[in-house]
Amino acid sequence: MGERLDRPVTLARRQELSPTCFALELATEEPIHAQPGQFAMVGLVGGYDPLLRRPFSVAGVRQEGGRFLVELLVKEVGKTTSLLRRLPVGSSLRLLAPLGEGFHLERCGPRPVLVAGGIGLPPVLFAAQVLACRGVAFDFFFGAATQEELLLRERLAALTTGELVLCTDDGSFGEPGFVTEALRRRGEQGYSRLFACGPTPMLRAVARLARSLGLPAELSLEEPMACGVGVCLGCVVRLADGSYVPSCKQGPVFPVEALGEGW
Amino acid sequence: MSGVALETRVGSLLLRNPVLAASGTFGYGLDLVDLCPPEALGGVVTKGLSPRPRAGNPTPRIVETPAGMLNSIGLQNIGVEAFCRDVLPELRRRGALVVVNVFGETEEEYAQVVGRLEQEEGIAAYELNVSCPNVAKGGMEFGHDPRLLGELVRGLATASHRPIWVKLSPNAPDPLAVAEAALAFGAQALSLVNTFRALAIDPCKRRPVLATGFGGLSGPAIKPLALRLVWELHRAFPQAPLVGIGGIMTGEDAVEFLLAGASAVQVGTATFRNPRACLEVLEGLVAFCQREGVREVRELVGGLAWP
Repeated sequence: MGERLDRPVTLARRQELSPTCFALELATEEPIHAQPGQFAMVGLVGGYDPLLRRPFSVAGVRQEGGRFLVELLVKEVGKTTSLLRRLPVGSSLRLLAPLGEGFHLERCGPRPVLVAGGIGLPPVLFAAQVLACRGVAFDFFFGAATQEELLLRERLAALTTGELVLCTDDGSFGEPGFVTEALRRRGEQGYSRLFACGPTPMLRAVARLARSLGLPAELSLEEPMACGVGVCLGCVVRLADGSYVPSCKQGPVFPVEALGEGW
Repeated sequence: MSGVALETRVGSLLLRNPVLAASGTFGYGLDLVDLCPPEALGGVVTKGLSPRPRAGNPTPRIVETPAGMLNSIGLQNIGVEAFCRDVLPELRRRGALVVVNVFGETEEEYAQVVGRLEQEEGIAAYELNVSCPNVAKGGMEFGHDPRLLGELVRGLATASHRPIWVKLSPNAPDPLAVAEAALAFGAQALSLVNTFRALAIDPCKRRPVLATGFGGLSGPAIKPLALRLVWELHRAFPQAPLVGIGGIMTGEDAVEFLLAGASAVQVGTATFRNPRACLEVLEGLVAFCQREGVREVRELVGGLAWP
């Protein structure tokens, strides 16, 4: 894992992806060694409202010329994300990254399966890029509410080495219904390990399915977070042993078997 | 160096500079060593320690509010034994000035924690948490009742050879009476303020945002309220060493607390926004002094000219 650094970054690029989502690329001079599933705390410069940084899973890191670009996929849900959508390209931001425990892709086995729901796409997309680079064959399940919210379909199609299954809740594209149902229909395919991120109800359904199939699974969870570095204890997740652990340090990726009640 | 003398005194304790990390915002002192080494600060105040580990409150525990945040962590901590075994030796080795925040549900529990810590070297003072708004028992009930607090402080001051600071609740009906009791029964300093009991509501769900209902408000939103209390206490007890806390984000904020009568300050929520916040407050304080021709930080303490 790379060393966490708090650094100034420049908003290098922004691309609208859907009525609610957009992609950002943040440029930094120093290399950044993020792994899939790790996240970054992004802060606007100046002003106390919003006061805190916001956590975003890293969607990818690449080098362009002499600089390094961190890709984030963002859904506009509140004050910070709304400001990020309007921030002029070239603006400065603060980036504390990489943070947390990512996916253990080295344990993926011969036939991993990736599952993403809605704006849970970024860490799973990053995992797909790394697995594709390593020449590992994987299937990719991606579900969203509507066709418009099924982000980056072409990129996923180009990347996925096995089957790409797209689903929409309203049936406007791909298979109708939840991504977990599509996964259940193909559940007996002998996957070696599952990696997932998405809304909490979806992840709970994925956890149940993985347990019933005896499939080892790692889930990237989302919790409200203040500091991102383990000192506020706000973002805790309850484990099977009853303890609360900060998802910014021990997570955001947890193996299903570690998770407690409700999972 | 900077040309500014940064040393300050809180009771019998000499601090290398007046900026400390506040309890509950800096882990046990070692969580941010790569970004903000504890030995560079005036001191670190640990997360509140209880006799045994505590799991803390259910989630959600935090929510951001305008220029502030609410928390209801519920004093999740590793317990005094694990602190002494796993954390304190490294803090000692690094030369950090350590103030241990002590919490109990009963007088006996406070005594147990202090008793255990008395066996250890490398602790500068105890800060009694009698002001946490987020626990069912202990904490704020002592901090609101001058008589209960007086007894608690008297017992601990007798049992301990280290300075005792009392961290005051801004929610007390009569903070001056509470402060007076703490000082009368042996507290060497008062740190103020802890968070303000507050409420955030989700209008769609028609429920509180936090799982416990109420939480404690911190951040820049509370700074003027905290400054008012520090100044009132300083006016009432001009000899009492005060440690100012409440929404300090910059060097100028720290200067304001010193002027209001604090001998040192603690930086809390700012660390959540920026893990280097304590260092940047210190740098800002030095820059202010250089700019304003202040040679000794100590000369700022209580320097407010009241109209």
